[in-house]
Amino acid sequence: MSTNSAVYQADSDLKQTARAAPKKQLISDTVYSVLLIAPALVLILFFALIPLGYAINVSFRFADLTSPRGVDNYVGLENYHFVLNDDFFWEAAQRTLFFAVIAVAVEMIAGVAIAFLLHEMRWFKGITRSLIILPLAASPVAVGLIWRNMYHPDFGVYNYLVSLLGISEQNWLGDPDLAMYSVIIFDVWQWTPFVILITLAGLQALPKEPFEAAQLDGASTWRVLRTLTFPMLTPVLTLVFVLRTIDAIRLYDAVFSLTSGGPGTTTEVLTYYLYRTGLRFFRMDRASAMALLFLYVTVVFTGLVMRRFMRNIAARTRQMAS
Amino acid sequence: METQRISFGLFFRHFLILIILIVFLFPIYWMITTSFKSSEDILTRPPKFVFEPTLDNYRFAFEEADFTKFIRNTIIVAGLSTILVVTFGSIASYSFARWNPGDGHIMFFILTTRMMPAIAVIMPFFLIFRDLGKTDIGNRFYLGLDQPGALVVAYTVFNLPFAIWLMHSFFQDIPMELEDSARLDGYSRLQVFFRVVLPLAAPGIAVTAIFSLLFAWNEFLFAFVLTRDDARTITVGVSSFQTQQGILWGPLTAAAVVCVVPMLVVALFLQRYMVRGLTFGAVRG
Repeated sequence: MSTNSAVYQADSDLKQTARAAPKKQLISDTVYSVLLIAPALVLILFFALIPLGYAINVSFRFADLTSPRGVDNYVGLENYHFVLNDDFFWEAAQRTLFFAVIAVAVEMIAGVAIAFLLHEMRWFKGITRSLIILPLAASPVAVGLIWRNMYHPDFGVYNYLVSLLGISEQNWLGDPDLAMYSVIIFDVWQWTPFVILITLAGLQALPKEPFEAAQLDGASTWRVLRTLTFPMLTPVLTLVFVLRTIDAIRLYDAVFSLTSGGPGTTTEVLTYYLYRTGLRFFRMDRASAMALLFLYVTVVFTGLVMRRFMRNIAARTRQMAS
Repeated sequence: METQRISFGLFFRHFLILIILIVFLFPIYWMITTSFKSSEDILTRPPKFVFEPTLDNYRFAFEEADFTKFIRNTIIVAGLSTILVVTFGSIASYSFARWNPGDGHIMFFILTTRMMPAIAVIMPFFLIFRDLGKTDIGNRFYLGLDQPGALVVAYTVFNLPFAIWLMHSFFQDIPMELEDSARLDGYSRLQVFFRVVLPLAAPGIAVTAIFSLLFAWNEFLFAFVLTRDDARTITVGVSSFQTQQGILWGPLTAAAVVCVVPMLVVALFLQRYMVRGLTFGAVRG
């Protein structure tokens, strides 16, 4: 026993001396660590800061690329003033919010419910999980165009299927009251699998013991869900919610391929209005001001909700490094 | 346990899952079958579930619309940007996992650049590449508008933050003791990285590479704005069947199959790692 501990002592002494006197290094760990991140950071900084600087600059100027004046003199806050008083901008913002709230809510509820169903499956669990995530991997523009065909009022398959259920035929993408919901249905189809997949991973990672104890105590299913399952799933569900919300606010591809913002402007979300202002009307000044406002809101939102998540990771690193 | 018993509830649950699965897979089934329909069979009312299959749509897409070029461009652009992302991303990610330079702030800044909506930066990108195309360096590396280099750079910049965060969790799983003892054995820091860390992080690097490929393959907006013809990629190619005269549904569907199916195959193989990839490495599947 005593010889053993003496050996351990000697061994750890040896390691400590080795650590205390490392081999001569040309550069310190700090410099080395900075050198490793340099290429990625330079690339990101260059392509993040230059566009940002450009957008800030143009947002304070007159810039109409269709007029001979092109990018012209400084006009102060006029573009911001225009955007903030632009009814189209606020309507697009409202639509974006409407889309994000409904789509994310449906995806979260359906996704969590289906994940619970899948979790309790006994046969074909693996193959079901593999197949149900397929919509995620499909290019939104390509499948969006396919959906446009399926939504077609005359020869689309969806009208045929709803007629089998006794529902009257709809003009899915052409009816101003219905178009936004049709875009939402498409988004729900593509992204519910994301919620299913991540929730399922969270469910599978839950520890067994508390649930066995609860069963011994004769706790009801509802009580187990409320006091054990959901509290333990909260971190995972929060992350899914944040990632989905960020993506929903940035929705562009689906609108492009399904409706191009129409009919009228009923499905024109912020990104699409931005695209139209900047790349169809070439009003770079207003588009830049709008893009900056949009960017500011997204980054603040991301910053607020992702900060805690980021801190956890940083803390883990510090713990390991010490 | 209750779930162990074979009961009516258990069968009902599996039946419900089957219905859900059919709902989610139906659009993919419809896309694939439609691509083999003749143009008359596509425009019928009610739509045909049984029909005479034909390869006409594929023939049109590849012969009339030069779809081979779009596929070639996509493979070049997605492949090169993936190589750059993995190279720069892995060393940066390793550094963050091991020494955390910037105490989390730099890493968080990197994440926020990924959260930028592509549409908000697309106009400055357009102008940067227009100007780069007029310089010598830009010409040598095909960085101008409608040249593949511009898309390679754009995708690399957009996928790097994702790659750094994803690989971070894999590098953190490697025990520090392994590196320490390799150092004691006389390995230099670079040797430790290449001979000890990289082989152990291989699964993480593979996942990152495949996800970068998936994003670049499916990307539309940058490709749409930064290319016109020569460097056009597959997603823009699919949408180009919406013409002034109307939509060529047959060729469009065939093109969509060529665009979508390879990535579905990738997802099937990637299944084990999808969870980790989709959550920036935060949730381990």
